[in-house]
Amino acid sequence: MNQYCLKKDCKELHAFPHIVEFAYKKVNAIQFDSLKKEVSAFLRFYYVIEGRFDWVIDDQVYILYPGDLAMILPGQSFGGEKDLLGIGTINWLHLKLKQFDRNGKMLMGKWSRLSDREANTLGRILSFNNTPVLSRLKEAGTIFQNMQNEFMNQEIGQTVRVNQLIDELLILSARHLTRQNNSRRDFPQIFMKLEQALRENLSHQWTLEEMAALVGLGNTAFSEKVKSYTGFSPLNYLINIRITEAIKLLKKPNVHVTDIALDVGFYSSQHFATTFKKLTGYTPSEFRKKHIPSSDENL
Amino acid sequence: MLGSTKGSYPTFHAKPDYSEQDPEQIFITMLYLLKIFLNEKIHPKKHDVQCICFSSAMHSVLPIDKNGVPIGNAMVWSDNRAKKEADELKESPLGKELYYRTGTPIHAMSPLNKIVWLRNNDPGRFSAADKFLSIKTYILEQLTGEYVIDHSVASATGMMNIHTLTWDDDAVKYAGISKDKLADLATVFHIAGKLKPEYQASLRLHDRVKLIIGSSDGCMATLGAGVWGDGKATVTLEESGAIRVVGKEILQDEKQRLFNYLLAEGNYVSGGPTNNVGSAFEWYAKQFGDFNKVYELDDCIRNLINDAAKVPVGSCGLIFLPYLQGERAPMWNANARGVYFGLNIKHELQHLVRATIEGILYAFYSISKVLEEHRIIACLSANGTYASFPVWMQMMADIFDKPVNIKKNSGPDSVACGSYLVGATEMGLYKDLEHAAQKVKLQESYHPQEQNHKIYMKHYAVFESLSLKLHNEFKAIADLQHDY
Repeated sequence: MNQYCLKKDCKELHAFPHIVEFAYKKVNAIQFDSLKKEVSAFLRFYYVIEGRFDWVIDDQVYILYPGDLAMILPGQSFGGEKDLLGIGTINWLHLKLKQFDRNGKMLMGKWSRLSDREANTLGRILSFNNTPVLSRLKEAGTIFQNMQNEFMNQEIGQTVRVNQLIDELLILSARHLTRQNNSRRDFPQIFMKLEQALRENLSHQWTLEEMAALVGLGNTAFSEKVKSYTGFSPLNYLINIRITEAIKLLKKPNVHVTDIALDVGFYSSQHFATTFKKLTGYTPSEFRKKHIPSSDENL
Repeated sequence: MLGSTKGSYPTFHAKPDYSEQDPEQIFITMLYLLKIFLNEKIHPKKHDVQCICFSSAMHSVLPIDKNGVPIGNAMVWSDNRAKKEADELKESPLGKELYYRTGTPIHAMSPLNKIVWLRNNDPGRFSAADKFLSIKTYILEQLTGEYVIDHSVASATGMMNIHTLTWDDDAVKYAGISKDKLADLATVFHIAGKLKPEYQASLRLHDRVKLIIGSSDGCMATLGAGVWGDGKATVTLEESGAIRVVGKEILQDEKQRLFNYLLAEGNYVSGGPTNNVGSAFEWYAKQFGDFNKVYELDDCIRNLINDAAKVPVGSCGLIFLPYLQGERAPMWNANARGVYFGLNIKHELQHLVRATIEGILYAFYSISKVLEEHRIIACLSANGTYASFPVWMQMMADIFDKPVNIKKNSGPDSVACGSYLVGATEMGLYKDLEHAAQKVKLQESYHPQEQNHKIYMKHYAVFESLSLKLHNEFKAIADLQHDY
């Protein structure tokens, strides 16, 4: 069989409005313009079963071999080098997500068993480890094969099974991504990247699980490594950064204290005031008054 | 010793050659750690805290506005962006004058050159700055309200005259600023004002607690390593390293290769810094280490050192130039790069490991040779992370042909020890720093082995020759690397 392609609105995809395209294709000859550069709003997966492919993802060239999985995020461009698809055999899946923005806020849709929080974390992992090619991911090939069998055989439980497989593909990709990118040898470097992600999204209520997932470690291992490297537990280190940013904002006279509390990630200005006073001995307003003599008392 | 705690904050590299830290983050991290430490180890035992003595890294520059608010991040010691400014000054007659007056080598690390860089490249920040502080000055000001800088940190700014102990007019003028933009100078024993009542409350300290300004990490480490008087030198082996001596005289080096920083009481810490110690070895471990059997970098490092110990002295004729991040003393060449020289078909990874360690130690040895043009060094006192490896210490003893002493148990590190000695001296427990230094007990000794020393010296000759010969090639390759 040379080709099997399901496109949106075909009867096999009736129960799967989130699947825009699912295909298997074997290419034997060069075809011009077979893969022109395109940006799409969908999450696209391409798995190489056989052959070698030269693709351009987000304006960078990647060479993919059998077992490699390309993952193109919504908004990224994808095309073949010289607009050619290449020779070999591939699978692909285009997925429509309920929500995705480049900061990592991602929601799947009702079909997925992932909770909103998990989906969000997954989205952050994809943005944090921004590498479009996952190498040597044979399990992805198995997932695609199973999905194809489900579509072809139409047996009982098919809907549940296909959605399960898509969840599995997402989870597999996220885990592999963190493992591939975060070599265990260089925790300081990984931690620097995490710090940056925390600072860029400080208003988010980061949990230990989310931080650990971003770097691909289990909760305990992550906590130990952070404590040993920084001297603080992950959550205390986070408070450390929140208070640091709060100080900077307090020293800017025209930002409201309430806004500061939420901007730096405290869940209320009361919580902010209590934590700030406990560490520094000042309430936020007192601190501002003492450090900026000219500040407006009403702020 | 009742206890110790440590924590860290990141260094940002927004652009190549940039090394910055967030001053508010440094302050909060310090405050938080101090609070945790006091609450866990000190207050439960109802100890009465009499004084807190400070130490900090050198060469930092933090501009603040008229309200005392930092304008951007602080540039730290490893920031290299002021290369051009340093070269310009070094080639001028004023440069040599300033080196002799301030004791700080003319290099990108020097705050003098960093301020000139700001003037040339960030005029907005430069003109908005009401003061140019060191990180320690900022921290102390946050705690007490006083802008003060100790002689040790000040003598590493390139702007303090180490003979008169005042800010140097020419240096300040060259920087394009005035003296009122710098903090007030004080001795290391100076009490930096009273701790603000809010911090007293948060840290649960009484208002009589003395905040002693203290010294720089280099000077503290030297004091804490028990180095005092003639014949002794201290070798610090951390990410980077230094070799230092203490004396009442300033070392006048014709070629401006050494620093002279004032500690106190007319005692100067002189020596040379090297860039690539732990950082070079960790680079090697990450690239070539075997991570199949271990997960942690530290375990890998330990295994590599054990492998190196089994290789013959001289690594079977393999030389490593460790200048992965350029080099400061004695060459002061930011373009210098790493080299494995002499590879033949029989060399294996184990030879590379040993050659790497030997190269790092040869770099220290090259600084000591310059120091020995001015002072006699009879023995070494080693401290820092890599001083805990017997293989390294024995190799050092053999290369230098001098005994190497270290503290028996890893107690508090030398910087903390030095800080204690300064604080204790201020409180009157010791008559002066000389007596305080004598309290440092060094125990384990490594003795040089003559036959090894001879072999090392033959290899060192090649090391030294190459380091000098490759000057032009270093420049060419550094230029090529600029685009990556």
